[in-house]
Amino acid sequence: MGKKQRKELLKVENLKTHFVIEEQKAKAVDGLDFYVFEGEFFGIVGESGSGKSVTALSILRLIPDPPGKISSGKIFFGDKDLLGLSWEDMRKIRGNEISMIFQEPMTSLNPVFTVGVQIMEPLIIHRDMDKREARAEAIKMLKKVGIPSPELRVDDYPHQFSGGMRQRAMIAMALCCNPSLLIADEPTTALDVTVQAQILELMTEIKNKRKESAIILITHDLAVIAETCDRVMVMYCGKIQEVASTVDLFENPLHPYTKGLMASIPSLAKKKKRLTTIPGNVPGILHFPPGCPFHTRCKYKMPVCEKVVPELLKVEKDHLVRCHLYNGEGKNR
Amino acid sequence: MINYFIRRILIIIPTFLGVTFIVFTITRFAPGGPVEMAILRYRQMQMEGGGGAMGSHGTAISEEMVEKLKKIYGFDKPFYISYLIWLGNVVRFDLGESYTYSKPVWDVIKARFPISLRFGVAGFLLAYLVCIPLGVLKAVKHGSTFDFTSSALVFIGYAIPGWVAGIVLLVLLGGGSFLDIFPLGGIHSMDYETLSLFGKFWDNIYHMILPVFCYTLGSFASLTILMKNSLIENLGKDYVRTAFAKGLSEKTVIFKHTLRNSLIPIATGLGSVFSIVISGALLIEKVFNIHGFGLLGYNSILDRDYPVMLGILVFSSILYMLGNIFSDFLYCVIDPRIRLD
Repeated sequence: MGKKQRKELLKVENLKTHFVIEEQKAKAVDGLDFYVFEGEFFGIVGESGSGKSVTALSILRLIPDPPGKISSGKIFFGDKDLLGLSWEDMRKIRGNEISMIFQEPMTSLNPVFTVGVQIMEPLIIHRDMDKREARAEAIKMLKKVGIPSPELRVDDYPHQFSGGMRQRAMIAMALCCNPSLLIADEPTTALDVTVQAQILELMTEIKNKRKESAIILITHDLAVIAETCDRVMVMYCGKIQEVASTVDLFENPLHPYTKGLMASIPSLAKKKKRLTTIPGNVPGILHFPPGCPFHTRCKYKMPVCEKVVPELLKVEKDHLVRCHLYNGEGKNR
Repeated sequence: MINYFIRRILIIIPTFLGVTFIVFTITRFAPGGPVEMAILRYRQMQMEGGGGAMGSHGTAISEEMVEKLKKIYGFDKPFYISYLIWLGNVVRFDLGESYTYSKPVWDVIKARFPISLRFGVAGFLLAYLVCIPLGVLKAVKHGSTFDFTSSALVFIGYAIPGWVAGIVLLVLLGGGSFLDIFPLGGIHSMDYETLSLFGKFWDNIYHMILPVFCYTLGSFASLTILMKNSLIENLGKDYVRTAFAKGLSEKTVIFKHTLRNSLIPIATGLGSVFSIVISGALLIEKVFNIHGFGLLGYNSILDRDYPVMLGILVFSSILYMLGNIFSDFLYCVIDPRIRLD
């Protein structure tokens, strides 16, 4: 992609989102710093419970409060600090400049309104369209996302759509106001593999048509990242573990966790009886271990890992990793 | 879908036959029927009438007389024949004649419609107009002092029987020992005829306030809590998050997206709107001296006034069944996922 001077579209600084669960503080997102360029396809990857979705919801300020709270940090979108905006100004950004697609297309659409009405809503509130214009636009959008005979399907209810079609409708809804940032939170997880491929293809196609606008794709599936993203951020226990361009990350994964994730991708080439897994589970959100959160599962564990939280180190240009292995002298394995 | 409703309407017929047949049969075999009542009355008359005739033979009633009485009340034929005769008349819109009022049953029942309607409609509107907004407000302010206080109030209302509340309110506000704000009962003032149009209107309302309140008291809790829980449940749904992510205001999200979904369970209850015409609550009517359906039904059973009793049954069963179909219909209207066939 472009090696020229690129403009940052989204810049997150020291974002901390906490939940209060049983009177304890759960640090779902704990000090994130990252940026997304204009027109970039940015991936966030990690196991369930690593804080990916909370990051996404924090950007749109959709964290349910209580129990959740964005306790510190700044999120710059262009030159606006989203966390400092009034509720009303934030509302004008949602669905208009930043929109979001969710994991469950089955439940993310309102069952009692037609798909058309739901796509028309953002057009009516953000674009001041009247119903007729919005309807025409909704039909156009449905056509763009590959719904056959959209002028008929626009009046269907969500339950009359298949899972893949619903996700297409969600995408149409998210894109209808032409947002400069689209956040897709596990958009293919709930779908069949074949439908997954179609949706990813659609998203890439959309990406290529809309050069200036960026997509943040959240997934637990590195294969999906490999197919789509320009740059990837690996998250674990609410913290960034590694950030790199997709090519770099796949050619030269640094963090043991990233390596573990890579090894877990099933491959036809290698003849193995069993899937490779990372031993152990993601620690419960109330019991993140001290030091490096990954030390409980890491095969390169050193005494220091249990005590000191590693810093996010710049190992190469645009390749950052949070691991004691790369501390001090730079690269030594 | 249309087939479904046609079928449902057709099913009313066998159900109606079953219900009326069972009740009719019971009336035939229950002790203390109209014939026995008539014999009893006859004896009492004799006892009061001729003191001299109070011999051992005076209380005896001839077989012939009993047969005659049976014939009058239609008890001379086997019950199934009588049922068919009764049914034949019902089909021709003839409900028979009341034993106690000596008037056609239809006239007796008809006279009570305005009262039931007035209290039924007022109670129905009051319940829905209070409970739906209250439930919504409680859901939005879930966990607040307002939420707790209103819950306590509606549950106290639920725990107190309407007629007890009626008595308490009459003692407190009915001009007895404390305040004299509301009338003691009835549906009009004594000087009703002399009042102006507006005065009449106000007089009606004035007499309705306490009974309607007591009548509705118990239904506040269930309806309010149903509304609240339904809304809270829906507010946690994914589509609500989607709606917020689109940039809709909180008001639109709650009142457009969530409310419609939360009304689905409430709508099922709306079918009972049909039964309003014959609604009544015996004890509340007693307390407030209102001659409604509750009292009529109760008295018809006590007096063994079977034509009236069966007449009410005809209405209540048909209205109830229509109400159920109407509920299903509303269900389809409000929730596009429901397809009945």
